[in-house]
Amino acid sequence: MSEETVDSRRLEERSRALFQESVERIDMPTRSRLTQARYAALRAAERTARTGWLRLPLLTSAGGVTAAAVLGAALWFGGAGSHHPPPVADSAAALEDLDLVASSDGGADNVEMLQDDLDFYAWADKTAGSEPSA
Amino acid sequence: MPGFDTLTATWMVGDGPAPETRGVVLEQTRELDKFLAEIERRAFRMAQVSLRDPDDAMDVVQDAMLKLVRNYATRPSAEWRPLFYRILENGVRDLQRRRSVRKRFMTWLPGPKEDPDNEAQDPLDNVADAGPAVPEALMQAQAMQKLEASLRDLPARQREAFMLRNFEGLDVAETATAMGCSEGSVKTHYSRAVHTLREQLGEVW
Repeated sequence: MSEETVDSRRLEERSRALFQESVERIDMPTRSRLTQARYAALRAAERTARTGWLRLPLLTSAGGVTAAAVLGAALWFGGAGSHHPPPVADSAAALEDLDLVASSDGGADNVEMLQDDLDFYAWADKTAGSEPSA
Repeated sequence: MPGFDTLTATWMVGDGPAPETRGVVLEQTRELDKFLAEIERRAFRMAQVSLRDPDDAMDVVQDAMLKLVRNYATRPSAEWRPLFYRILENGVRDLQRRRSVRKRFMTWLPGPKEDPDNEAQDPLDNVADAGPAVPEALMQAQAMQKLEASLRDLPARQREAFMLRNFEGLDVAETATAMGCSEGSVKTHYSRAVHTLREQLGEVW
């Protein structure tokens, strides 16, 4: 073994021993802070793990609700042999009317008036429908 | 502050995962605790050698612990050590970079210059030269101080390679993972570090 290699080995061993001694001389407050840091990290892990556990059931339930909604909608709107097709046009129109009433100037007043006159419009519709055609 | 048993006991109560999952996670937490407890003091000293300031060293170690636990806890435990040191070394480098920027900024400002490395106030500088009556512990401390000074004079990559290989006992492959470089680079950095340190410290030791 060359002298250079021997010197290198001695340096490695000596420096390692000195370093280890310095580690053992770390004071108690510093050791305590390191322990606290470790527990803080582990608590963070606990929180992460708990979030992970919560996420799975939440995803599962969200997926279940979505699937049920899609199935329900399919049965309601697209069910084969349905005897009552949905009045899509009427619904759309009604929504559009409502939107117009609400968006025009004094929209709130208009909606209020619409609600007040609802009985009148129902009566008028019934009366007009029951009148004999001329 | 809760002890480890109290901490882990919280896994076992209340709504939570299935018992098997809890058991796996609990085991993993115990392993992480053991791993971190085993390396935390050496990691702190290594960070302190690079940064000098014990508070900065503590911050970097704490940050490395958190990042390891959050991002790599599920990795095989054999990978934790190089990963931890990679995070730690990145933290040390980031802090040194910030210091360097701060130092440059401070030189533009009037008034007394900042001494972030606290070089003028190292208590060991005031210790009398070693005579026959100097206790062994103090001599050791002085020798370590010289070693630290020499390590700080090394280029960062050489210092990292030397500390990871020699102080932490990582093999070449683990050191390469920790340093984010090839095994060949690790060998080169380490060899140069040893050569320089031997030149600087050989006669003193």
